[in-house]
Amino acid sequence: MYNLIRAELFKLRKDRSFRVLLLITAVLSLAYPLLYYMDNKSGGKPQFTGAEFLVKFMFSNGYVIKFSIAALAGFFIASEYTTGAMKIIASSGNDRGRLYAAKLVGFSAGVMLISLIFPLLSMAEVSILSGFGQLPEGVDPFFIPRVLGLTLLYTAGYAAIGVLFTAVFTESGKTISFLMIFFLMIDMVLGGLGEYIPFLTTVYNYSVFKLLGDIGKIQLDSGELPVLLLVPLLTIGVAGLLGILVYRKKEIK
Amino acid sequence: MSEYVLQTNQLSKRFKGSVALDKVNLSIRKGSIYGFIGQNGAGKSTLMRIVTGLAFPSDGTIELFGASAERELTQARKRMGLIIEGPSLFPHMTASENLEVNRLLRGIPGRDCVSRMLELVGLQGTGRKKVKNFSLGMKQRLGLAIAMLSDPEFLILDEPTNGLDPMSVIEMRELLKRLNQERGLTILISSHILSELHLLASHYGIIHHGKLLEQLTAQELHDKCQHYVHIKADHPDRAAMVIQSVLGTSDFEVMPDGVIKLYGYREQPGKVSSALFSAGLTIEEFMPMGEDLESYYMKRIGGGGDV
Repeated sequence: MYNLIRAELFKLRKDRSFRVLLLITAVLSLAYPLLYYMDNKSGGKPQFTGAEFLVKFMFSNGYVIKFSIAALAGFFIASEYTTGAMKIIASSGNDRGRLYAAKLVGFSAGVMLISLIFPLLSMAEVSILSGFGQLPEGVDPFFIPRVLGLTLLYTAGYAAIGVLFTAVFTESGKTISFLMIFFLMIDMVLGGLGEYIPFLTTVYNYSVFKLLGDIGKIQLDSGELPVLLLVPLLTIGVAGLLGILVYRKKEIK
Repeated sequence: MSEYVLQTNQLSKRFKGSVALDKVNLSIRKGSIYGFIGQNGAGKSTLMRIVTGLAFPSDGTIELFGASAERELTQARKRMGLIIEGPSLFPHMTASENLEVNRLLRGIPGRDCVSRMLELVGLQGTGRKKVKNFSLGMKQRLGLAIAMLSDPEFLILDEPTNGLDPMSVIEMRELLKRLNQERGLTILISSHILSELHLLASHYGIIHHGKLLEQLTAQELHDKCQHYVHIKADHPDRAAMVIQSVLGTSDFEVMPDGVIKLYGYREQPGKVSSALFSAGLTIEEFMPMGEDLESYYMKRIGGGGDV
């Protein structure tokens, strides 16, 4: 298993789409706060501090996570089916369950890295420009590590869903378009259907789709943190097992 | 220990509305080079894909190195190298990076096997060149290097000479022969170039419309191929009459170009030539010939087609 993960990480390191995504995310993460900085300066408005910026704009990272998972799933994993590389992987004499798990780990590691770029880089840039400042009144002192930890966990949860659908579609174009639409529409779909089927509202409220928006909450009520921790872990488990089932039954073309 | 590396038992594969493999019983003896012959869509690749675990049978079983249970089969596949429907490569990586990924996938210790394999297939000088910029022949050679990386006992090669130039075809053939002789490597190979297979294979399997029509050794093929005397005379009609009347046989064919194929007299060419001379005929061409794999195959499947 260790070797399989090493192989996946090696591929990830060499993957051009991964490098491009890293670069684009880094550039955007630097440009976004810079535009705010210049706008506020010319308008004479007070500048954000690094801490304030993180608290206020953490939710934007959700889009980065969703977009990078869709793009990387298509370019990094699904392209292995298209180029035929998956044939040599599937026939390497390794159990398909292990191959899938290793792929999930490698892929998750990649998108987890991307998911940290925006919060860390933009916070660092704003801190250089206007100082780190202090977290707003009433904010939990563990806010930053908690937010970053939950970002990693939710990214892994989304990644598990991404890899599952990649195993179903196996084509780059289909995978990217489906995942983009799925991640952008799922809130609306579950929310809308929940009006007619109340059970779906409960499902939505306890899903990574809804809770991703809650990880940047300044104050968590008692009982919220365990839910925030359990839901992505369960998502990884369920999506991972489903993915293994799909991949085991998949004929590789 | 079984003397067979691979055996299939009533192996069938059905797709929606079509049968790709129909109760195939194939046996590949250890140390043999098994030439797998069939038209496009005959079922060669499907069988190879099932053996390598890329596809699943609808019915029947396979036994690989004596293993037939799913978990054992997965383990047995570690002893196998393959090129199926073209080499499986990572186009954005270099040759050595492709080998490195496969080394990690197969858990092979030490990196020296990477350079050894590059040398084996003559790609040691490719450096930082990405595989996407390789010629088809270079990709095929890299595919073979990957297949050989884990020092396999059984090699499955689906059209490995596709896209290779004539020199590379010869090099590939010599390499496979050497690996077979020196390491006792068993090879299952399919190729459209039957003359090439003829120079390589020790055993043959002919598959047509999903059915394995025949399995035979190279010696059996040689014995089965019809032998004849190729005759070109100045008057083919008269020559045919002489053969019929003097030699008393009608087991011959007059071809459209006037060449006569006389069967059954390959061991007595003198008798034939003196009969024709005595009749005052001038012989322009006279040589003993044998059918090759291609004509045997065409006869066996009962007609033309794209091999």
